[in-house]
Amino acid sequence: MTGVISGGGQWAYVAAAYALTVLLTGAVLWHSWRAMRRAETRSDALRRDRK
Amino acid sequence: MHAYANPTRFLAIARPLTPWLLGLGLALLLVGAWAGLMLVPGDYKQGETARILYVHVPSAWLGMGGWTALAVAGLVQLVWRHPLAGIAARAIAVPGMLFTALCLATGSIWGKPTWGTWWEWDGRMTSMLVLLFLYAGFVALTMGDANENGGQRQGGMLSRGAAVYALVGAVNIPIINRSVVWWNSLHQGPSITLGGSSIDAALLWPLGLTLLGFSLLFGGIVLMRMRRIIADNRVAARLRRLADDDEGN
Repeated sequence: MTGVISGGGQWAYVAAAYALTVLLTGAVLWHSWRAMRRAETRSDALRRDRK
Repeated sequence: MHAYANPTRFLAIARPLTPWLLGLGLALLLVGAWAGLMLVPGDYKQGETARILYVHVPSAWLGMGGWTALAVAGLVQLVWRHPLAGIAARAIAVPGMLFTALCLATGSIWGKPTWGTWWEWDGRMTSMLVLLFLYAGFVALTMGDANENGGQRQGGMLSRGAAVYALVGAVNIPIINRSVVWWNSLHQGPSITLGGSSIDAALLWPLGLTLLGFSLLFGGIVLMRMRRIIADNRVAARLRRLADDDEGN
């Protein structure tokens, strides 16, 4: 088949797919955690001020 | 179900559950990915590239499962006016879009060494791309909602338009699922069905670990995003009360 890559060259594609997965999943995890912490800290601080 | 409409009651469950989902999800993912890369043999036909399966299939599962959950949340909000349903739909949208994009990207990376092309406008790939656009449209719609009424819409609920959009978009899910049966495609047919799997058991078992790991991680991400929306709503409500008190004095 034209264009089909075999042998050791295949590992580069595997590494690219896994690296992209780690990068994007890590980014959404970090962003979600940071946004949650900031929002909850602000909410807790405002509640303490009201007491 | 309405017992959990109260955000305080929901948070009492979500707060302790979040670290468990994230921790267990990450642990399963690490074991599954390690097994998929190091332990199992390469495929007899595709060689090493078949290892992309362990990240590509969970991404597709979460992209499609995410929209299904989003449509259910839209329906629950339309029918029962459950306030947490709208918050859940908003929380699902961005991670759902991300995993759909990841599915397309890893599929493309897998396609190049296997089919000799990065992209083909066939039924499966095109319908998955449509799902990505649907997510982008939903995110834009809900951002527009959030900008109404000085930044708040009834405690994070969706507009009727966004809820209906979520329901209508669900039509694309069975199309993605059946696309490889209905149309000629470079993409392989369904490998895992209710009747069994065409993937050899020696290659299949890490997929169970990464599927479960990614699903738990997705659940943890959605809970974190829901907690953020609830906290933002509380801050906005308190600031409104403070402003009303000041006006009253």
